[in-house]
Amino acid sequence: MRHKQSISRKLFIVFNTLLLALITVLSVIPFIHLLSISLSSNTAASAGEVRLWPVGFSFDSYVYLGEKVEFFRSLWVSVKRVVLGTIVNLFLVFITAYPLSKSNDRFKFRTPYVWFFAITMFFGGGLIPTYILVKNTGLIDSIWALILPGALNVWNMVLMLNFFRSIPKELDEAATIDGAGHWIILWKIYLPVSLPSIATIGLFTIVGHWNAWFDGILYLNSPDKYPLQTYLSTLIMSMNAQMSSISIEQIKAMENLSEKTLKTAQIFMGALPIMIVYPFLQKYFVKGIIVGSVKE
Amino acid sequence: MRTLKKEYLLHLMLIPGVIVTLIYAYGPMAGLVMAFQQFEPLSGFFKSKFVGFDNFRYVFQLPDFGQVLWNTVIISIFKMVLFLVVPLILALLLNEVTKQWFSRIVQSAIFLPFFLSWTVLGGIIIELFSLNGAVNGLISSIGFKPIMFMLDNQWFRGIIIGSDVWKGMGYNMIVMLAVIIGINSTLYEAAEIDGAGRWKQMIHITLPSMAPILILLAVLSLGSILNAGFEQILIMYNPTVYEGADVIDTFVYRLGMFSQQFGSAAAVGLFKSVISLILVSSTYYAAYKYNGYRIF
Amino acid sequence: MKKIKPWKMMLLATMAVSFFTACSSQDKTATTTSEPVTTKEETKTNTPPDPLGKYADLVTVTEVLGYNPPEDPRTPQGIKPEENAYFKDLKEMLNIEVKYKWTVPSSQFEQKFSLAMASADLPDILELDPKNFEKLKNQDMLADLTDAYKQYASPALKKYMESDGGFAMKTFESDGKQLAIPAFEDPFLSSQQLWIRKDWLDNLNLQAPKTIDELEKVAEAFVKNDPDKNGKNDTYGIATQKNLFFWGFDLRGFFNGFGAYPSIGDNQSAWIKDSEGKLIPGLIQPEVKTALGKLQSWYQNGILDKEFALKDENKSVEDITAGKVGISYGEWWYPNWPLNLNMDKDPKANWIAVQIPGMEGPGNTLVPKIRSSKLFAVNKKMKNPEAAIKMINFYIEMGNKKYMDQNKAEKGYVYNWFNPRIYNPAQIDTIYTEVNKALDANQTEITLDDENYKNVADVFKATKDYLSGDTSTASRGVNWGQYFSRAAKDGGWGMTRQLKDSKAYVNNEFYGIPVASQVEKGTQLDKLMQESFTKIIMGAPLDEFDKFVASWKSLGGDQITQEVNEWYTKQATK
Repeated sequence: MRHKQSISRKLFIVFNTLLLALITVLSVIPFIHLLSISLSSNTAASAGEVRLWPVGFSFDSYVYLGEKVEFFRSLWVSVKRVVLGTIVNLFLVFITAYPLSKSNDRFKFRTPYVWFFAITMFFGGGLIPTYILVKNTGLIDSIWALILPGALNVWNMVLMLNFFRSIPKELDEAATIDGAGHWIILWKIYLPVSLPSIATIGLFTIVGHWNAWFDGILYLNSPDKYPLQTYLSTLIMSMNAQMSSISIEQIKAMENLSEKTLKTAQIFMGALPIMIVYPFLQKYFVKGIIVGSVKE
Repeated sequence: MRTLKKEYLLHLMLIPGVIVTLIYAYGPMAGLVMAFQQFEPLSGFFKSKFVGFDNFRYVFQLPDFGQVLWNTVIISIFKMVLFLVVPLILALLLNEVTKQWFSRIVQSAIFLPFFLSWTVLGGIIIELFSLNGAVNGLISSIGFKPIMFMLDNQWFRGIIIGSDVWKGMGYNMIVMLAVIIGINSTLYEAAEIDGAGRWKQMIHITLPSMAPILILLAVLSLGSILNAGFEQILIMYNPTVYEGADVIDTFVYRLGMFSQQFGSAAAVGLFKSVISLILVSSTYYAAYKYNGYRIF
Repeated sequence: MKKIKPWKMMLLATMAVSFFTACSSQDKTATTTSEPVTTKEETKTNTPPDPLGKYADLVTVTEVLGYNPPEDPRTPQGIKPEENAYFKDLKEMLNIEVKYKWTVPSSQFEQKFSLAMASADLPDILELDPKNFEKLKNQDMLADLTDAYKQYASPALKKYMESDGGFAMKTFESDGKQLAIPAFEDPFLSSQQLWIRKDWLDNLNLQAPKTIDELEKVAEAFVKNDPDKNGKNDTYGIATQKNLFFWGFDLRGFFNGFGAYPSIGDNQSAWIKDSEGKLIPGLIQPEVKTALGKLQSWYQNGILDKEFALKDENKSVEDITAGKVGISYGEWWYPNWPLNLNMDKDPKANWIAVQIPGMEGPGNTLVPKIRSSKLFAVNKKMKNPEAAIKMINFYIEMGNKKYMDQNKAEKGYVYNWFNPRIYNPAQIDTIYTEVNKALDANQTEITLDDENYKNVADVFKATKDYLSGDTSTASRGVNWGQYFSRAAKDGGWGMTRQLKDSKAYVNNEFYGIPVASQVEKGTQLDKLMQESFTKIIMGAPLDEFDKFVASWKSLGGDQITQEVNEWYTKQATK
């Protein structure tokens, strides 16, 4: 019997490995394609000749990008935004999810609070009202306009809430018996135990802040304040499809901006920092946390 | 009395979140009045003409609205189901991988497409499925006739659904992995001792432990049922597949062709919000009534 | 040691002139000045109307900007719109300072401007499109520029505005008040032509087609007979993408050849005059059906790409560059882009422009009555509306030869960031005339000395470089692009001139903002058209067209026709 099991187990492992490897390859291919385009000559890229390997190898777009002061300026803005934004978000998510994760008999107004937050996941004022509000709270042209409006991400908070609920009640009860108040329980007990969920939500928050580009355009008045993705978006001109004719100026602009290699180099550079950070966060997705502390 | 004393800390912890949400989420909601106005930016909220439900009537009575609504629902449902099933399978498969380094590589790879925007990915996919693309190349090499995927309503829908799931499955997969990792390992040890194989362990331990998060993800995704993937479809669609793939958001987007339709867009947004709220709250209360289980 | 810079001389001269004029006009009692003296406007600044006069006190002007990255690679890295060197000169010469409320990439301008309108935060100088113009006009938020223009417009600016008989200016006049200065171009810039690979024609021993039937033969040969002689069957006939009527790579010119005028490319029908002088929608006329029939057969036999319906303009550009297609309907500017890419990629490539083929001979192209998408207006609340006019004068002045050394990109002069800027509407034609004059006279450089200098000189240099094979400044393709689009006698503009002279065109008579029913029903009608036409081309029965016409009319087309004709009788500037 054990013999049979290990063969089917082995087969499964082989099949599993192959399948996952295939998916990995498929997922990585578009990036390789983009990278190849960015390293190709512009004429080859414009002609659509590049597949998985550069044609007419050229570092030009990266050199061009690297010389641009704006690139590094906006990179720095992005770093600031991500750090500040993630700290604020995680903090808010953490302290908001805790009370809401308690059961209804331990926290009387829990349900109304939860719906107060949940409703905002479905209803929104839209672009113009939000803009006017941000303006009236004096955040226009400040990095805080990119952080405060979305400071409490309800989706993430609900996720965290759920994670909290899976923490064994025994930990809670043991600490309460020892005389610890909520605040202490939150930071001394929940925090260490929730590392995988914090890492997960932290990752999503970091990615969210890193990728956001539209709010930069809306709330910032001058390009030197732009975060990276907003800056990168300015290099790609999109022609308004409603035009019936291009003006002479626009034609000249098309000439310059249709640089496919440049576009892809930007895209790549925009995604690269995060792709590097991600594996480091994975460390925290580690098994077997402190659960052992609950023995008797 | 004692309850209040114990609970006041909990209320306190909620205050920052409440303030931010009140200002930046509820504040703009006042702008929902746009849905009932013939909104003109110059007139603002106070001077734009009030038209009651006219905006709603206008949009709902447009000839293709019914079909567009149907497309939205169908595409959404497929996406919702696959966004749960596929990441789940992946998470479970990854859980069976013993070599950490392999697991981390696969995870990173699967999450990568999340970083690509549809402006980039759309072009790649169109290329892939075109008559001269890789997929048709494969098909002809095994002897079948090439298919015009992107020009056929059914195939196009499939590509929309499939590519969105491929791009975004990393997100849910990570959430699920975080949950799996948090499962108490002693449970597995006990099961092992009782003679249960990996398969049985998965069915009796892993899956049940994941039930809360699965339900949460399912219910929350219900809230997005009328968002079928605006940007993705906008980039990839063409007149030949309007019939099968034009969704509410792309429909409304085109409404702004000759004049910005703030009122109508707000009306549609409000409509979507109300539907989402109804769906989510009824599921929430159904779960509570029949199982005593609070989804969030 | 210090060279007196030319513009300082000009400034001194201007000041001297204004000083003398001021003195003399103060001496006279009953006046015989050529300028009408405004009695209403209290001249608190005592400055007589001088197009480039310097303000005694600093005048601050607020603006907003939708910008594209600087075109010239020699522009200093990291420069911001606020640092535009033109502003330095503006301040020194006219004592006008520009402050930006905000700047955004041009693709986001419309969005951001709506927000500005909604939050009641508009700048002094407004760059508007016709729709926003109407909105602001209706809310009475625009300053009356009649006097400012009359008094302060420089001779050059006046010349520009009168170049079309004042048509464009009148379009933006209301109740005798001039509410905006339009930036317009020669409408003939929209003329459709047929661009063909000359080397392919030569390889196959074919002549440029004059009729649709000849075009069919040529296109078929391009598909089947390996025109690029590379042994591979990898070419198709005519470049098309999913939008049948667009700003490029579309089929407007094709339909025109059939005497059909369905659209100018703006998602609505074009309007032509019928025999009784009323306007009829070009989109539903019987000639369109004939044209669709032909397209259907071309789709069958491979002249059109089987997947044209899912391609966008980027793909068309790709195909042209890669040498997969050698025929495209388009406007004069194709050599500038994207044909230059193909020329650089393939040294054997050569393109020519041909009048669009018609039924019995070359056809007539559809041409709009006005080609202007940008206007400059002034906020009613602004105290010095004439400052806007002066800024326009200033910009035009900067095109003169004497500023060329000063206004270099490397010194931080970014021309496409300066607003308000009005170009010579006859810019391309001027370039054409002047460059050819210089070439015929065997000159080595441009001797013209007015505000058109820069544009003419740039094209002249490119032409010289192309003809001599000099690729030190730019590639062969780029030089050819400049030359063949603007200067060549049989190139883009050259061909357009011929069309203009031989009257081989029909006007689109409607040029107002979308009428009420268009706003309400336009999107639906456009969707209907796109779906019907695409299906027909891809094989649906040709009689579907008749069903389309019936639907179009009942779903709002008739109403639109009525409203368009109302506009025509009442509002059209004729």
